[in-house]
Amino acid sequence: MSVALSAINLKKNYKDVAAIRGINLEIKHGECFGILGPNGAGKSTLLKMIYGQVLPTSGDLFVLGLNTRIQLTEIKSRIGIVPQDDGLDTDFSALENLKLFSSYFGLDQQSAATRSDFLLHEMKLIEHQHMHVEALSGGMKRRLVIARALLHDPQMLILDEPTTGLDPQARLWIWNYFEKLKSQKKTIIMTTHYMEEAEKLCDRIAIVDQGMILDIGTSPELIQKYIGTEVIELDIEDQKNYWMTKIINLNIEFRDFEDKLFIYFKSMDQRQNFLQYIQNAHYLIRNANLNDVFLKVAGYQIRGDA
Amino acid sequence: MIQVWLRNFLFFRKTFLVSLFWTVIEPLMYLAAFGFGFGRYIPPIEGMPFIDFYFPGLLCSTAMMVCYFEATYPNYTKLTHQKTFQTILLTPLSAEQILFGEVFWSATKAMIGVLGVILVSVFFGLFSWRLFFILPVLFILSLIFAAFGLIIVSIAKNYDSFVFSTSGFIIPLSLVSGTYFSLKDMPQFIQWMAYAFPLSHAVELVRQILQGQTGSPKNGIHLSVLILYCVSLLFLAKKLFQRKMII
Repeated sequence: MSVALSAINLKKNYKDVAAIRGINLEIKHGECFGILGPNGAGKSTLLKMIYGQVLPTSGDLFVLGLNTRIQLTEIKSRIGIVPQDDGLDTDFSALENLKLFSSYFGLDQQSAATRSDFLLHEMKLIEHQHMHVEALSGGMKRRLVIARALLHDPQMLILDEPTTGLDPQARLWIWNYFEKLKSQKKTIIMTTHYMEEAEKLCDRIAIVDQGMILDIGTSPELIQKYIGTEVIELDIEDQKNYWMTKIINLNIEFRDFEDKLFIYFKSMDQRQNFLQYIQNAHYLIRNANLNDVFLKVAGYQIRGDA
Repeated sequence: MIQVWLRNFLFFRKTFLVSLFWTVIEPLMYLAAFGFGFGRYIPPIEGMPFIDFYFPGLLCSTAMMVCYFEATYPNYTKLTHQKTFQTILLTPLSAEQILFGEVFWSATKAMIGVLGVILVSVFFGLFSWRLFFILPVLFILSLIFAAFGLIIVSIAKNYDSFVFSTSGFIIPLSLVSGTYFSLKDMPQFIQWMAYAFPLSHAVELVRQILQGQTGSPKNGIHLSVLILYCVSLLFLAKKLFQRKMII
């Protein structure tokens, strides 16, 4: 069995609003799969369908070969979930949280104690094990949630914005830990707003918007396909028409954003050639990245509904 | 289901003093003030001294209040602020198992309250072996109001919703269900209204058992009504809670 997840024409409507509009997707075992998309794109809805908190309106979703409609209990005993909200039980300490969750997963007391102790060490939380969860820092809470998701040694991990709101050190530590999980051949499905996170961890990335998958590929593939190799950010101030006419005539791809143009170059020669036209304007040359892909595909504007 | 019950029990163990205070001490204050203080000025009701008439009402309303409050506020907090239920749903446990775990926990807490009151009532000379026969009735009554509480939790818009169900339903019910006065002397339509709800049936049944009148055919009717309420409210609570948890 090489397919860890497959979605077939998956749809979800909330009353009259379509949140997911026909998603077809296959994720392989051991793959780290990233889902990128603006707020409200349907990322969380898609993840919640995997663990059964959202029921599909139509279509099918198979996780580890099991049907989410009828084998949910079995699925949930094999996947570990890190949700957006920590959802730690604030009436209990860190260790008690892990023991409680072990009982929800049906682990006996002995294995619960062993697993909790192992994961508290692994997550560098052993010194804080008796602390009330409210007293833990944001980074510690997140590590505890990751420990909680690993109690039953799941085959697959679902991470919904796992490092949102964390400081760079905490984020780096968690990325490093996810690399370790990847090396243990665990399948990982994650959403993120950090392009750096997706570029660093994900084998493949899907860009999702308005409940549809716009494209899927590796990070270099997507960058090459949508942007090229380099980007010039050009300050155009009040000369928008002049610059836009020029670039259109040169047949170069670009996007305009307020008083800036983002100009995409397929090769360094093309960029070098363009530079000769720039006089008396501020500009920045940099390598194309996933952020450019995301903004180009999903649009540069802040949305009214997000 | 048992895991959810156990979670609450572990939390209860940490905070049992404050829990015990309001579940046991509060009804005892009522017993002292109404039963012994106020009751001395009251002539016998249905042939019983006021304290004997009032004690079954107090036990039933204690069971109802404790499990109603245990099922509402803490569970609404777990649903909205703490996201406890959503997080438990990440494990193999289902919404149905969470619901029944919570219902049984609330009923357990009500029984702890009732047993506390019974224990202390020994000192008031109210103890009788018959008290043990009323426990199953009180447990069914607790399940009814735990299910009712979880129904309100499942449809509540915010904490204010509980003000309506508490002040608009639970408190009046505790006053008119044959707890403080006999329903037999009331106009027919008040009797009909009171017997439309489960508390009056439980009070009447408990009173009959404590008086040793176990053979009355009416007791069968009271028990049937309670069981019917219990099954239907549990079913409704399950449906509404599942609808709330799984979109």
